[in-house]
This record gives sequence, C-alpha cells and structure tokens, in this order.
Amino acid sequence: MAIDPLKTVGQNTPRIDAYERVTGQATYTRDIKLPGMLYARVLRSNVPHAMIRRIDTSKAEALPGVRAVMTHETHKIPYGSGSISGGRQYSDAHKDITTRLRYTFNDHVRYVGEPVAAVAAVNRHVAEEALQLIEIDYEELPFVLDVEEAIEPGAPEIWSGGNIAHDSENRQQPIGGRTGDLEAGFAEADQIFEDRFTTQFVQDAQMEPRSALAHWEGDKLILHTPTQGVSNCRHDTARDLGLEDHQVQVICQYMGGGFGDKNGNYYFDLIAAAFARDLGVPVMVELSRKDDWLATHGRWHTVQDYRVGVKDDGTVTAIQLNGLSGMGPYLRRSGNVAGMDVYACENTEKSILPVHTNRVVSGNFRAPTYPQGYFGIESMMDEVAYKLGIDPVQFALKNMVRPTETKQFTNFTLDQCIEQGAELFDWANRWKPEPGSDEGPIKRGAGMAFMMFNARLGASSAILRVNAEGRYTVYVGVTDIGPGAKTTMSMLAAEELGVPLSDVDIVWGDSDRCPYSVGESGSRCTMMTGYAVVEAARDLKRQIAENGMPQGDSVLIASATPAPTTNGKLREGFGAHFVEVEVDTHLGDVRVTKYVTVHESGRILNPLPALDQIRGAVIQGIGQALTEDLRYDSRNGQPLTSGYYWGRHLTHLDVPQIENVFIETDDGLGPYGAKTVGESGIIIAPVAVANAVYNAIGHRMRDLPITRDKILEVVA
Amino acid sequence: MKDSHDSEVSRREFIGGTGAAIVAANTIPVKAQDRSGESNERAIEDVPLTRITLTVNGTEHRVAVEDRWTLTELLRDHLGLTGTRIGCNRGECGACTVLLDGEPAYSCSTLAVWAHGRSVQTVEGLEKSGRVSKLQQAFIDHNAPQCGFCTSGQLMSATALLQRNANPTVREIREALAGNLCRCSNYNAIVEAVQAATRTGGA
Repeated sequence: MAIDPLKTVGQNTPRIDAYERVTGQATYTRDIKLPGMLYARVLRSNVPHAMIRRIDTSKAEALPGVRAVMTHETHKIPYGSGSISGGRQYSDAHKDITTRLRYTFNDHVRYVGEPVAAVAAVNRHVAEEALQLIEIDYEELPFVLDVEEAIEPGAPEIWSGGNIAHDSENRQQPIGGRTGDLEAGFAEADQIFEDRFTTQFVQDAQMEPRSALAHWEGDKLILHTPTQGVSNCRHDTARDLGLEDHQVQVICQYMGGGFGDKNGNYYFDLIAAAFARDLGVPVMVELSRKDDWLATHGRWHTVQDYRVGVKDDGTVTAIQLNGLSGMGPYLRRSGNVAGMDVYACENTEKSILPVHTNRVVSGNFRAPTYPQGYFGIESMMDEVAYKLGIDPVQFALKNMVRPTETKQFTNFTLDQCIEQGAELFDWANRWKPEPGSDEGPIKRGAGMAFMMFNARLGASSAILRVNAEGRYTVYVGVTDIGPGAKTTMSMLAAEELGVPLSDVDIVWGDSDRCPYSVGESGSRCTMMTGYAVVEAARDLKRQIAENGMPQGDSVLIASATPAPTTNGKLREGFGAHFVEVEVDTHLGDVRVTKYVTVHESGRILNPLPALDQIRGAVIQGIGQALTEDLRYDSRNGQPLTSGYYWGRHLTHLDVPQIENVFIETDDGLGPYGAKTVGESGIIIAPVAVANAVYNAIGHRMRDLPITRDKILEVVA
Repeated sequence: MKDSHDSEVSRREFIGGTGAAIVAANTIPVKAQDRSGESNERAIEDVPLTRITLTVNGTEHRVAVEDRWTLTELLRDHLGLTGTRIGCNRGECGACTVLLDGEPAYSCSTLAVWAHGRSVQTVEGLEKSGRVSKLQQAFIDHNAPQCGFCTSGQLMSATALLQRNANPTVREIREALAGNLCRCSNYNAIVEAVQAATRTGGA
C-alpha cells in the first residue's frame, strides 16, 4: 500500500533537544540543586523473608549531619501502585478493596532489597554512613524463590492465604481463558507435542539510577522524578499521601531511559515527599545502582508448559498453555504471557498463575508480556515444524493469524513482513534443512520469528496555542524517555498546521502545565497523545480561519481530548525477524552474524529515531536471549548478579549491525496512520536467536538465557 | 598538600566565607550541600580536606576537597558541571567518562584528589566558541542519543579515539567505546555517528 508523502512528517528529523543531549545541558532529576536541599538514602532488607522485631535508629539519628530517619514505625504510607495493581494500575476501585496493600516500609519484609528505613542528611556520605548505624532485629522466616515450589502445599506463605497473586477481586484465579473447542482440536490432530520453556528475570536497567527530589510550597508538593507518565505519577502520589491531584505537581524534563514500569509512582517518591514535608526543606532521594537493580523491577520470569496438536500437513489444531509467572512478593503488574493470538488456531486454552516469591518484584519491561511469551510459543512451533519436516517460514505462513469474517484488521501485512524478510535475509540459502550439519567446531544456523503487537487507540489530551508573533506552542504531558516524543509531537503540530517545525515550541513533562497524557508506555504515546495534537491543530486552524491570526497580546488556544476507536477491528503492528548465528561448540559462545528485521508500524513519522527504536530493542532482545539474568543463591535467598557487570549487558563489542526495513502503510487511523514502534523490536528477538541456535547445533535451547554452560552441556 | 585545621585557609573561614567547603580560583558559583546547621559542625570538622589544583575544560581551579569525593562528585556537585552522569558509580557503565590528560577515565572510580595537577575535559568542554564539535554534530545528525544518559561518556571516549586516530575502523570504534554501555542499545547509531566524524566520514 503506497502512502501519500507529507511535508514534515516522514522526514528524517534530528530530535529538537539533541543539542541539550550532546552538550550535557539536558537536566535529569539528579542535576537539579535547590537551596538547602538534603540527601536521602534507603536502607534495605538483607534477608529474603522476615518480620522486623525491633528497629533501633538512635545511633543513626545521633550522627552529626543526620536530619531525620524514617521507618515503618514512624511512617505508615501506603504504596498503592507497588503491590496491588497487577496491570490495573489505573484502577482506583481495586486499590480500595485490595487485601494485600503494600506500604512504603513494611515490618514484614519479603525480599532482599525491600526498603526498611531511610535517612535524610546534609549530604549523601553522611546519609550512607547513617544507614550502617541502624540496627534491625529480624525474625527470619522460611523463604521460597522458585515459582513451582511457591505454590506447593506447605510452602512458606509470603502472604496469608497462599502465594498465588490476587486478581482485581482478591481471587486467586489464573489469567487466560479458552477459545473454540480445545478437546475437538486435539482429537482432530495427527500428532500432539508437549514441551516446557522457561525464561529469566531481566532488569529494565535504564542508565539513570532512579531518584526523586521533593519540596513543598504550603500544602502543595512539587516532585521531580524520572517518570514515564507525569499524569499517572501525580495521581498515584496524591492518592498515597491523601492529597487531591491538584496538590501535587510532577515534573520530568529529561529521564535516562524508561523501558517500562515508570508510568506511575515509586516508593522513593513518597519517601522524598514525606521527608520534605517533615523537614520543611527540599529532599533528594538517590538510589544506588544496586538499589535500582534489586528494589525496582524487571521482566517477570516464567515457566511455560505447551501442548500443541497438529495435522500431518502442518495445520495447528489446538494450543494449550499452562504457565507460572514469578512476580516477586508484590504484584506490581499483570504477569500475563502473550503470543498465542499470532496463530490462526481457534482451539486454545491459556492458564497463567502469577506467583509470589521472595525475589525482586517483577514489573513491566518493554512489551511486558511479550518476549518471554513469544519465546515459549515460537520455540514450540519451531520445534513442531522441524518434527514435521516443514520449513519454519512455510509453517509460519500456514499457521499465522489471518483476517477472517469475525477477525478483521484495520490492515494486515504479516505475510508481507515474513516473505520480504525471508528474501532480504536469503533464508533459502542460510537456513539448514538439517540442523547442526556444519562440519567443525564453529556451526552456523538461521532462525526466524514473527509477531504482532496491538496498536491501540485511546483517549489523551493536547493543547495548542498561537500568539501574535506566530509562535505555536504545543502542551503535552509527555516526558520523552528516549524515542523522541517531543520531536514527534512538534512534527505532528507543524504538519497539521502547515508551518515549519522551527515555528513550533513545546511544553512537556509537567503535570501542572500540561494536560493529561497516557504517558509513554504501551507504545501508545504517539498514537494517543499524537492524535490529540493533530485534533487540536485542526481546531486551531479553524479558529485562525474564522478569526484571523491573533493580534497584540491576544492568543488563540485549542485543545482536544479525542477518544478514537477502531470500530471493533484489530489494529496491529506486524514484524518478522531473521537471524544468523555462529556457535562455537568448543567454547559455547553464540555470536549473531546477521540480523534482518521487517516491521510494519503504519506510517513512520520520523524515520531517524524509529529505526533506532527497532535496532535498540532488537539488541536488548539479544541480551535477553544470550546473557542477561538475575541469579540467586538458593541457600540463603541472596541475589548474586545485580548490576551491569554481573547482569552481563551487551556492549559495543557484542552487537551486530541490525538491518531493518519498514513496510509503510496508512490505515486512516491514529496520527497519519502511525502505529506502534517502541516495543515491537524486542518481542521476537529472543526467540529468533534461540531458533537460530537450534538450527546451528541441532539442540533445542528451552531455558533463557542461552549461556555457554547450557550450550556445552548439550553439545559435549 | 594535606590540609589541616590551621592551614592558610582555615576551615571556619571558608565555611563562613563561602558557605561551602570549597574554594575556587575563579568565579564559578559553588553550590555545595547545606552545611550551615549547628549540628553539622562536628561532621564537617571530622572530614579531612585536601587542597588540590586541577584544570577543568581549560580553567584552573584551586579547590579543597574531601578525600572521599570522587572526581564525578567534584565536577557535578561542586563545580556545577552536571553533564558528566552517574550511571552505576562503580566502574561498570562508563556514563561518567571524562578525559584525564586526554585519556578516557571513569570519573566515578577516580578520586578527586587524584586529579591534582591534572587536566580534565568534560562534555561541557567540547563546544568551542558556541560551536559544537564535529563529533557532537554527528551525534545530533545520526540520532546517537536516545535517552541521552550515556551520551556524555560515549562522546568523551570517542573524542579521545579521534584525537589519537583520525580514521578508525568500525572495529576500532567499537573497541574504544566498549567501556560505555548504552541500555537504549543504540550502539549501531553511535558507531555510525563516530564514523561520520572521522576524517573520511566513514567512507
């Protein structure tokens, strides 16, 4: 489908704040200094599961330079989004009825890293020193790290009533459901395959360690914090502190990476706010890298048991998934596992239990339910294809979801993504019909995977203003976590208004100055807030046509809060990845030697950063496939691999050049037909790499990450 | 160079005089942490200070620093140069990279006292007479910063590379920047930007 070219949209546009980012002038939360500000640090539990019998802060309080110490005894502040959201973080109703409320400090500590006290002092060194002087008497309790052990009878109870997480009505129900007729699907099958796939916890690991700076003006809280959503962070914070929304102003001008789970508040926001209120001065809470690793969030680890029915001709007739998701001791997000709906098979059952353990709390990381889910289902299907002697590309084209009478898409290009990718990659020559057939210790192989990701529409707001000088100002509640949202919003305004980008200014990242935005999560900021910008621009154009440009001190203002829908159709971004790897069977090393991606994300508004969203996400996905992990010592519940070094994040030396092609379309929805970009690239990277490893060595790797030891174990 | 309480600039004098535990040879505004409260007096007296001289972005500074301060802390909290970022504060990520006598160094793992007599260049020193460097311009044009948090460190490592090798290969670029993590994983774009800033523009 050809798209009509536009003037500003679609042009490679360097981000409008690139100068600030390359000169060091961009102001991140920790760069802000306020007169008289204090620094706070958080003390964390060093045991995985315990009741605090006694906590003695007297020595810390006596340390010169210490201004205040906070514990569960002094401050009982609910941390509403910390435990009870489970994917319903915007549901106030659920926060009201939950029986598993988390507090900022809890006397029942449930993981190594849980906040137990905080100190505010004149500088960070004094604050750190003071933490060492706090004495805690723990009554240690049995702990559990493994999701299967956690739901066995007699397992240590992290919450009374058992370790299966609660749903929105405090029930312990699995996530999922049935479609079609599963039994008939299996009865129809010629063969049935079963397998288990497991995935690891992956820290979001954004480069900027989290922090929050709070100060009060009368009864109003001003909070600087690295959030992906100033509107949601404000609401959460107001609610936890017993304030009205208008009493909280959340500001985030720059933040050093999002990757998920920041579209709301954090406990350290509440600690900063409470210290600042108690002491009457600004207080900055700083997390160390280790704090950030162990006491924020990452992708939930999973155990996935698949059962698939298939006919001899390769038609999948039934898919069943039973899974467990490790959520840590608090349910911050859903724990769901995605992927099944990318297949056409109508007879399905999915049952996922989100389970509490005494590990780090799990949360959203870029496409929260997807990479682990796609690793499971597309590893399974890859295996089925080989067992039936069918080329995985042909198997994909045969079994992938397609538009039907009852399942309509706003547009559909999944087949095109797969076919074009196979050709660009030269699948026919790189893929080995006989896996592991290379002679010698270095074996090459090729793998592929395909995906779709919801490009949803929904409500968000924008305000546009023009003055007599002819300057247009866009007011949007985006925080620009990295993809370049400020630039995109400005480009959309310029395009719709028909003015140069240089005539457009932007006000962003401030809940007092900007209208509601959904925030930058779910890859929906462009589609929702971007569409609001387009609607506001249309209104402003109408006003200018009716009244002429403003004169003197007057201005014209337009606002829009559209809530567009797809009229019951599915609106999806599509993609296919093709990977070649080289496996050194002596050392167990896996090297990615070629990586081709084809994505359809509707119209690409700004090709320059869009390409890098895909490339960066793919590389994060390769890290999930091969290296990243948070391992625990099962004897004592201590995390062993926190931080970039032990977490083994990919460096410049580890990454291949990613070749990406966008198939551009315009389905007439969203801003100029734009669809989802930011999360698309990571979804199938882990499974595509894993499938390539199988093709290279002829052994299925069922447990992420695919580390040297696991390779050597199977090839030895 | 060890300071003591009866040195030429007494502790109390400069605390009273500047409101901060620092003396700068020039007029860079100093915003140290609040140390005016009475209860802090002993904390301040207990912390040894050392007077050092260093050059930062071409300007000489005479400063009294706590021995436990890292170079990052000196730059960010006491010289107002917040462009140098702290990503891990333990030598894993490279966000804090500065040039120390022209060589890349993790400023989080360099004590401020070690910078005595040395020349430091930070990201703020790359722009000359209001013009960004060729490398900075290439970073802008090639979308090298995503979130931007690792950018200062990437720029400093790449600046040092280009100073010693005006025409590095892709392999040499990757090796020179291997100590600078980017969690946005924008590695492809960063290397493309550095290539564009080489003598031949990556051709």
